Amino acid sequence: MSRQRPLGLGTHIFVPDADAAVAFYSEAFGAAELIRHRLPDGRVLFVELAVGPDKLLLSEEIAELNALAPAALGGSPVMLLLELEDVDGAFDHAVEMGAKVEMPVAEMFWGERYGIVRDPFGHHWALCTRREQLAPDEVADRVPSGPTDGTWTGQ
Amino acid sequence: MSSASGVPVLTTAGFQVLLALASGHSHGYAVMGFVNQLTDGQVRLGPGTLYRTLARLVADDLVNESEVNDPSAPHDARRRYYRLTPLGEQAVREEAELMARLVDAAQNAGLLDANRRTP
Repeated sequence: MSRQRPLGLGTHIFVPDADAAVAFYSEAFGAAELIRHRLPDGRVLFVELAVGPDKLLLSEEIAELNALAPAALGGSPVMLLLELEDVDGAFDHAVEMGAKVEMPVAEMFWGERYGIVRDPFGHHWALCTRREQLAPDEVADRVPSGPTDGTWTGQ
Repeated sequence: MSSASGVPVLTTAGFQVLLALASGHSHGYAVMGFVNQLTDGQVRLGPGTLYRTLARLVADDLVNESEVNDPSAPHDARRRYYRLTPLGEQAVREEAELMARLVDAAQNAGLLDANRRTP
């Protein structure tokens, strides 16, 4: 079989409570529910959300399939990236809605205003607003010596 | 994400559905038929894509969905009626104007048959 060029890449996350997650992602991140399917026992098999021009699939935990949410796994190593026009407003609103601050919003050397929250279901979201369109060499010239205390310092 | 005028940016399928509605097709089946026929089958707008696209357009306030008599009936976008909202009309108009500029540039670049746009 030869190597194929894929037709698309999607994100599928697992949460303990689909209703709570859909309510949070709708209010905090402007998601819109398109489709919902349930298992015969009532558990939500998946919800398809539109987030801007992209899709986010969300399922309730199904232990029989080893499909577990972050709390059951001790955290998540995955970051969801969400670009917005007003990162500060979205960040503050997400925190008001129950998200935890992981990295406060700041200007980043790669040309974005950027911050990270952990949502109430344990998923990490990096929120950003593009500020400058930098060429790769310009970013390379700006890389600071290293991150400290959970964020980047210097510009 | 929105355009400079604040109208949501359309996906390709979103534009095609709005175009079908602007062309006088309001029934889901007619929207599918219009897009499939217009594109000579190059674009296959199936029931799943139709449903998702219309749901997204309704959520963005670009399209209104008609009430149905039987709310317990299965939700099948093919059997329902839709119409553009004023914002939807603005969105499809702006996208069409942008596309027209691109098509003009394609014509100037010699990419299109010179007689193509003559009916």
